[in-house]
Amino acid sequence: MKTSPASIAEQTLELYARRITTRLDDGLAELSHEVTEPLRAARMQALARRKRPVAMRKQVSVLTRLGSSLALGGGGGGWGYALMSAIPVLALVAGVMVMGSLQNETGISEVVEVDAALLTDDLPPAAYADPGFVQFLKTRTAERH
Amino acid sequence: MVRGARLHRTAPLLATEQELSDFLKSVEKRAFKRSYYHVRNEESALDIVQDSMMKLAQHYGDKPPNELPMLFQRILSNCTLDWFRRQKTHRAVFSSMGEFVAAGDDGGEFDILEALSLASNGERVRSAEDLAHRTQTFHAIEREIERLPTRQREAFLMRYWEEMDVAETAAAMGCSEGSVKTHCFRAVQALSKALQAKGIEL
Repeated sequence: MKTSPASIAEQTLELYARRITTRLDDGLAELSHEVTEPLRAARMQALARRKRPVAMRKQVSVLTRLGSSLALGGGGGGWGYALMSAIPVLALVAGVMVMGSLQNETGISEVVEVDAALLTDDLPPAAYADPGFVQFLKTRTAERH
Repeated sequence: MVRGARLHRTAPLLATEQELSDFLKSVEKRAFKRSYYHVRNEESALDIVQDSMMKLAQHYGDKPPNELPMLFQRILSNCTLDWFRRQKTHRAVFSSMGEFVAAGDDGGEFDILEALSLASNGERVRSAEDLAHRTQTFHAIEREIERLPTRQREAFLMRYWEEMDVAETAAAMGCSEGSVKTHCFRAVQALSKALQAKGIEL
C-alpha cells in the first residue's frame, strides 16, 4: 500500500462529505408539494422557451446535392425556414443601401466644401481662368525663392 | 448513479428537449435547497430556481448535455447573487418598515430541534435509528450547512452533492481548482466539527 497519509485524510473527508450528502438526498424526498409543484411548473415553462439548436432541427441544408453538382435552395423546408433564410438577404440589402447613401452623402459634402471654399475666398473664381494670374503666381513664387 | 453517468458523458451531441428536461428534473430539488440554504426563504428560492431554469433553457438550451451541470450551477449562483443585490436595494428603500426580520426569524424552530436531537442522543439507541432521529440529524446537518461561509457551502454542495469534479466546480464558481479544494476541505472540517460537537455521528 503506498497511500500517503494526506490522501487517506482526503479520502476520509470525502467519505464524510458523501455521508452528509446522502442525508441531504434523503431530505429531498420530504419536500412538500408546495415546493415540488412550482418546480415542475418552472421546468415546463423553461422547456417551452428553450433555445433550439437550429442546425439540428433542420437536417436539410441550403446547399443541396443535385447529382454531381451543388445547388442553392432545395429541401422544401416550410415557411419558417424560408423566413429564416430571408433574414441575411434582407440584412445584406439594407446594409448596401445604408452604405450607398452614406457614401453619396460624404461625396456630396466634399464637393460642397470645395465649392464653398472657392466662393468665399477673397480671390474671385474667375481669376483661376485668367492666364495672366497663373503667370503672376509663378513669378511671385520664383521671386520668393 | 444515473446522475453521475450523465455527467461523465463525453459525446458532443447537443441536448435534446428530453435531455434538457431530464437534466432539470434531476437537479431542480437540489437547486431549490441550495438556493434555500442561501436565502432562507422558500418563495425566493423558488423564484431563483425558476429564473435559473429559464436562463439555462433560453441561452444554453442548445448546449451539449455534459456542459449543462456546470452552466446551470453558474447561472444559479449568479441568480442568487442578483437576488441579494435586489434585496439590498429593497432593504435600503424599506428599512424603516421592519424588513430586516425576513432572513433570520427561523431560529426558534431550529433551536427546539437542536434541543430534541441533543436529548435523544443522551439515551442513544444505536440499533434502530428511528425516523424522528433521522429527521433531527437531517435538520442539524442542514443548519450547519446554512452556517457555512457562502463560498465553502457552494464548493461543498457542487462538489459532493451535485457530484461535479474539481475542474467543473472551479469553472462554475469562477475560481481556481486549488481554492475549490481548500473551500471543500474547510467545509467538511467545519461540518464534522460542528456535528460531532452536537453528538451526531455519521
